[in-house]
Amino acid sequence: MAERRSQRTDPDWPAVYQIRVEGHLGHAMTGWFEGLSIALEDDGDTLLTGAVVDQAALHGLLTKVRDLGVLLVSVNRLDAGPGPRPTEEGD
Amino acid sequence: MSTPILATKLYVPPPRTSVVLRPRLIERLDVGLRSRLILVSAPAGFGKTTIVSEWAAGGSRLEPKVRTAWLSLDEGDGDPARFLTYLVAALQTVAADVGQGVLGMLQSPQTPPTETMLATLLNEIAALPHGVVLVLDDYHRVDSEPVDGAVAFLLEHLPPQLHLVIATREDPRLPLARWRARGQLTELRAADLRFSASEGAEFLNQAMGLDLSAEDISALETRTEGWIAGLQLAALSIQGHSDAVGFIEAFTGSNRFVLDYLVEEVLQRQPQAARSFLLQTSLLDTLCGALCDAVTGQKHGKEMLERLERDNLFVVPLDDERRWYRYHHLFADVLQALARAEQPDQLAALHKRASDWYEENGSRPDAVRHALYAEDFEWAADLIERAGPMLVTSSQTAIWLNWARSLPDELIRARPVLSVWHAYALLGSGELEAAEARLTDAERWLEPGPGQPTVSVDQEQLRSLLATIAVARAYRAHSLGDVPGTVKHAQRVLELLPEGDHPRREQAIALMGMTCWASGDLQAADRVFVDYSQRQIAAGNILVAISAMTVLPDIEPTLGRLREAIDALTGLLHVVVDQGEPLPPEAADLYRGLGELVLEQGDLTAAAAHLLKSKELGEQDELPVWRWRWHVAKARLHEVQGDPEGALRLLDEAQRLFIRTPLPDARPLAALKARIWATQGRVTEALEWARERGLSVDDDLSYLHEFEHVTLARVLVAQYESEHVDGAVHDAIGLLERLLHAAEEGGRTGSAIEILAFQALAHQAQGDTSSALAPLERALSLAEPEGYVRVFVSEGPPMARLLTEAASRGIAPDSARRLLAAFREAGDAHPSGPKELLSEREVEVLQHIAAGLTNRQIAARLYLSLYTVKAHARSIYDKLDAHSRTQAVARARELGILPLH
Repeated sequence: MAERRSQRTDPDWPAVYQIRVEGHLGHAMTGWFEGLSIALEDDGDTLLTGAVVDQAALHGLLTKVRDLGVLLVSVNRLDAGPGPRPTEEGD
Repeated sequence: MSTPILATKLYVPPPRTSVVLRPRLIERLDVGLRSRLILVSAPAGFGKTTIVSEWAAGGSRLEPKVRTAWLSLDEGDGDPARFLTYLVAALQTVAADVGQGVLGMLQSPQTPPTETMLATLLNEIAALPHGVVLVLDDYHRVDSEPVDGAVAFLLEHLPPQLHLVIATREDPRLPLARWRARGQLTELRAADLRFSASEGAEFLNQAMGLDLSAEDISALETRTEGWIAGLQLAALSIQGHSDAVGFIEAFTGSNRFVLDYLVEEVLQRQPQAARSFLLQTSLLDTLCGALCDAVTGQKHGKEMLERLERDNLFVVPLDDERRWYRYHHLFADVLQALARAEQPDQLAALHKRASDWYEENGSRPDAVRHALYAEDFEWAADLIERAGPMLVTSSQTAIWLNWARSLPDELIRARPVLSVWHAYALLGSGELEAAEARLTDAERWLEPGPGQPTVSVDQEQLRSLLATIAVARAYRAHSLGDVPGTVKHAQRVLELLPEGDHPRREQAIALMGMTCWASGDLQAADRVFVDYSQRQIAAGNILVAISAMTVLPDIEPTLGRLREAIDALTGLLHVVVDQGEPLPPEAADLYRGLGELVLEQGDLTAAAAHLLKSKELGEQDELPVWRWRWHVAKARLHEVQGDPEGALRLLDEAQRLFIRTPLPDARPLAALKARIWATQGRVTEALEWARERGLSVDDDLSYLHEFEHVTLARVLVAQYESEHVDGAVHDAIGLLERLLHAAEEGGRTGSAIEILAFQALAHQAQGDTSSALAPLERALSLAEPEGYVRVFVSEGPPMARLLTEAASRGIAPDSARRLLAAFREAGDAHPSGPKELLSEREVEVLQHIAAGLTNRQIAARLYLSLYTVKAHARSIYDKLDAHSRTQAVARARELGILPLH
């Protein structure tokens, strides 16, 4: 477990996040997740990767995932540390 | 200006004809009425709204009967005031009389705490003869902690009549785990809502009229995992597809996410006209034919919407007239994404057209919203400037400020009228410094000299802008407690607008009056309010005159001008009555004030009659401030009648209804209660009050705290009488001496009479009658010309003994004897045998109520009409100050009207 630092003092914001959802999103949907790069994985999932300004923006993204009825597989924060650390698992 | 209620948000969606019957879910919802909350929580497209509306439509088969109130929430409902407004509107669709009081409170400039309003609402619901199911649909869209708090409060205090259903895409922030553990939660979640294999088959082949093999159905089931929106889209695609099997194979073999795959499929099957209609109108929250025509630039929007509804294309009707619709949110989201991908440069123009249509059709908030989406900030600024006059209530101010925050700063600064409205909004939300900056910006434009032409859409506002700025500054100074500043800026307004009845002028005068009053210069305040109300009467603005005149009972009796105040109010009442019936509800406050004034003169009968008339008028309408003030007036009447318990009960009720006003609170409710405790010898509670308020005998004195300091002296004398603490009475006498001096300095003869009368009692408490008679004599001589009586009578038996003593020694004997007669009258007014309080018939009705009979049974037993029984019951409640049957019975037992068992 990396040590938790509060957002106010954390120099790492904005941070890069990677959101994995089930299913391949069509071209129209890429506009839906503006500013994120979209990669269609061979296992049928889609990876949304990009810089997120702060926690509020991250929750806004997750709300978009929710509103499309897409199954959320995982949310990872990519940092300079030893690999991504999972922070949330979808059901 | 109040929030217009959109009926479309309260529309109960009709059950669809082509729906799959799901008895297993309906039964679970039926059983769910026994739990605290029914939560329908699942992602988009799981048929949450459909199943709940399906179940609600069958509400009449339930025993006991329930009626369904529906509220479709949206992002704007995060504001607690707006949420409450809609909550009441939804409830009123099934119980017309519920929540009038709360709506009134919401319209007042100072809204009471949300929980106070909810408590009022819950009490009214608890009195309903039928059950209510309240559905909060799309609850996830609100996302606001105050609203979560309000809903939690509702759920913690649910009366048995009310059942709550929340439909949402994400679990609400409520103590769900606790309720789940206690079995107080009924949940339908995604797993429950998914179509089972047999439901899926029934849906595809019967509801959607397809003819698919078991194998195809199973393939679709697997691919969509029972997700209803997916199945419906798939069915729509198949309906338009020549090769159903081919389609199913391609779809089930695809990795594409179900929703956007299918929406694109469905769109491709639509004719070009329908396709572009869907994309262009997807940015609208609600749709009607004319609005769609304005946005698309085409005709036949209405026919198009009807066709889309017929074809099950995710169009939801919002009324029974086939006028307003909305897209299913999920469908709209994908359409919007497609529109953004396909026609990104068109969106701003579409939003602008929507904005224009809304402005032309009198829906400014929607016009502003779309103007901001279009990023047409000049146009948005025009609209927001025109919306300035809505800055009346705090909730409207919050909405307006949100709009202003979306505008580029330099745009606001370039518009003086908009800047000044912005300053008003900031003042209204307590941001005094930011407001001053906006006023300075606006002034820059008004300086003569070469400069850019001033941008403003409202020329009339621009003409009186200097005065408007000065009013804002006066208001700001008033908020800061800066008396000279307030007067200076208010004077400036009067110089700029020397005559006429310009609203700014009137605001300045009112501010001046309030400032003088709060700072203790009652003479000046009195002049301001009297002149102001006379000008209003002359101009025929009777309601404004009433509101100004009702402050006189707070000011003039304190100044020793009791008769003047009575004459002024009686005169205005004649004007009002001459205008004919029905009297305006605002006159309730006039009768209330008059009741208080004649009570000062000891005329209990007239006071009671005025207060009754006041109640009749006031209850027709919602006058939140009147409501608590009426309870205070009635409490004072009870106090004079020797019924301190009744007075305390009324003061507690007043405290519950209390709403702050901009006027000084010169007689705080807590102090009124402490006075009664002091007369009852409840010294501990009274001392606790003084400690809480941080009062001491060494405080600096000011008019605003005069009432509390006199109360403190009363509490100390009561302490001396019960605990014989000599220090307490000396402290009290010293404080009274200082208070008397301050009252005389400020010309407050009314205050001086009370202080002198109580000084006499303080000396009398020490057994020093000769020291007591001197202040008593002064009090009597000051009181005589104006007819002050209550101030003596409410002191009770010790004052009666002292007056008898005075009369026997020939000290102001006439005055003393007149007052002693008033004592006897007050004693008569408070029935020695409480039975006389109620008529024989009323006692008879009350006995039956106590026996637990319903009004109908009582009517049958006493051979009266139901209406008559209800009238008797109302009169009983009124006389006993009760709000319910149980309370009336308990009061009657207390008073010995009914046996104690």
